[in-house]
Amino acid sequence: MIDEEKLGILVEGAKYDVSCSSSGSRRANVKGGMGNGSGSGICHSFTPDGRCISLLKILMSNDCIYDCEYCPNRRSADVRRARLIPDEICELVINFYKRNYIEGLFLSSAVFDNPDKTMELLYQTVLKLRKVYNFNGYIHLKGIPHADPATVMKAARLADRMSYNIELPSEQSLKLLAPQKTKQSLLLPMKGLNEAIEYDKQNKVKHSKVLPAGQTTQMIIGASPESDGQILKLTEALYTNMRLRRVYYSSYAPVVKSNKLPSVGAGLLREHRLYQADWLIRFYGFTVSEICNESENLSPDYDPKCAWALKNMHLFPIEINTAPLEMLLRVPGIGAKSAYRITEARRFCALSFDNLAKMRIVLKRARHFITCKGKFYGSDSFSQVKTSLLIAGGVNEQISMFSDSSTAVSALTGEI
Amino acid sequence: MKIFITDGTATAFFTAVFYAYKENNCIITSDNSIQLTFDSEVIRITGDKDKNERVQNAILKYDEYAVDDVIFALRSGSTKKEQIAFGYLKVLLEKKSPISKMLSIPQVIDFNEAMRKITGESHMCKGFLRFTETHEGVLYAPYSPDNDITDLLMPHFAKRFNGEKFVIHDVKRNIAGIYNREEWITCYAGEAEIRLSESENFFKNLWKKYYNCVNIAERPHIKQMKDYMPVRYWKFMPEKNGN
Repeated sequence: MIDEEKLGILVEGAKYDVSCSSSGSRRANVKGGMGNGSGSGICHSFTPDGRCISLLKILMSNDCIYDCEYCPNRRSADVRRARLIPDEICELVINFYKRNYIEGLFLSSAVFDNPDKTMELLYQTVLKLRKVYNFNGYIHLKGIPHADPATVMKAARLADRMSYNIELPSEQSLKLLAPQKTKQSLLLPMKGLNEAIEYDKQNKVKHSKVLPAGQTTQMIIGASPESDGQILKLTEALYTNMRLRRVYYSSYAPVVKSNKLPSVGAGLLREHRLYQADWLIRFYGFTVSEICNESENLSPDYDPKCAWALKNMHLFPIEINTAPLEMLLRVPGIGAKSAYRITEARRFCALSFDNLAKMRIVLKRARHFITCKGKFYGSDSFSQVKTSLLIAGGVNEQISMFSDSSTAVSALTGEI
Repeated sequence: MKIFITDGTATAFFTAVFYAYKENNCIITSDNSIQLTFDSEVIRITGDKDKNERVQNAILKYDEYAVDDVIFALRSGSTKKEQIAFGYLKVLLEKKSPISKMLSIPQVIDFNEAMRKITGESHMCKGFLRFTETHEGVLYAPYSPDNDITDLLMPHFAKRFNGEKFVIHDVKRNIAGIYNREEWITCYAGEAEIRLSESENFFKNLWKKYYNCVNIAERPHIKQMKDYMPVRYWKFMPEKNGN
């Protein structure tokens, strides 16, 4: 049985993985079985860093044969090593799960012995959980680069989600910082899984579907010189070509000392802005080229939607009672929920500024971009608009570092 | 002003609506400690089957979902729940067509907000509820929710823990939801002594260890933690309550 010390070592090694989402799978339980998937995902706890605990995030082993510069578990690092056997992981999952501590398992591992053996043992663990322990809760499995594709595919039929971390936003950086991983070793399995998912979808496969919650990936921001524009272009390509459900960004922190790595961290603001842009791409109908040029970085002062609106003042103000949904979504301060509320409410009566306030639509930023029944409540002076947006979003945000939980911090929770 | 004080049931509420609808200015509540003023006239209401049905039928004529919505909203822990539901019904009877999407009407906003709080809390409790394993292998989860949501949680956990016996105990209302591997019921909870299983403390301590390890201590953000996981739920969570 696992002890606290081993657990500590293997969780320390896994905790920097950003993804903790448990949404997207509706796996049903069986008679007498344990667990099921919840479509929306469920957060079970929150840690003092503000992140959600949805899944038991753990490494099978932290004893790695690779020597990636940025990784605290790389071969040349002087850290305590530990390894778990499949049964130890299964028992921990079941006992945590039935006390409702967790929504499922996020199993990852350092590459021990060789990639094939690591992947095989990860697969054995998932197989045991599903078949022996009768566990139907959520499982997120990390893909091991260079591992046998057949094992990967077997595992994918049992897991809900898999992820290959592309680690760094360009091939050059990957070569420099993670020399044993290659672009192909990450993208090929991703592509294979995407094809298998697509096949199941086309053929309306019902049972043991490949990865019902799809694939995700993660990259480190700020350890290498790529611009936000490049990063977002890559993100967009991953969403369209690989049909990823999420791309996670992890702001670089100098945990490991190396002359190939910057000595200062990238800061949370940059990560935050990238997530905001990512949201605009996925839910608000923006394209990357609208938000950020390839060589540019996102503005630290304004969130990407404000920055876009300030560059496109000629499109505003829009009339709240007639503007199409796509345009409402582009108004700074109006999110998906507010836009929905406006489109529903205006079917019955024309909305005034007062109505919007009562409907709890946040107007601090929006008032400069809308008219209500033809009346404008914002400022005519462009510089005043800029200042007011700065106060409403940028400066405050930097001071309190995302203490407004209603904005993009949902990136960190297990729910959609 | 007339104050209709109901016994807290939905039937009594609809009965109260029957009388209150004709009044210009009145209050419906189930809160016995309501502040009275010099001109208050208290009328106690118990459920009347006939009047309950007449009111429900009148509502159903205009919106087939409104009765269910009102019954749902009455789970709220707010002392104003009857008043909010009454306000909503008055608008519905005046408009004579479904109003749930008329999102700019204040009564609709308040009513939807009350419903949202109930759905929201039951979603949160799906995550924050903590079971302990008893000596007999039954899972036991005490909690103290703002709203009366035990029977909303039962189907979720009955699916999830299909092969387990479990009890969810609302200690505030003294309601217990009980599942026996076949079906679930809710009832008033009696006294019972809980003896924990031998492995309970072992896993509880492993969980606390996990909670402390997975935190990134260099990036504290206590406010966000508390926004997402309000302190009032911590009492029953081993990683937060210090037991």
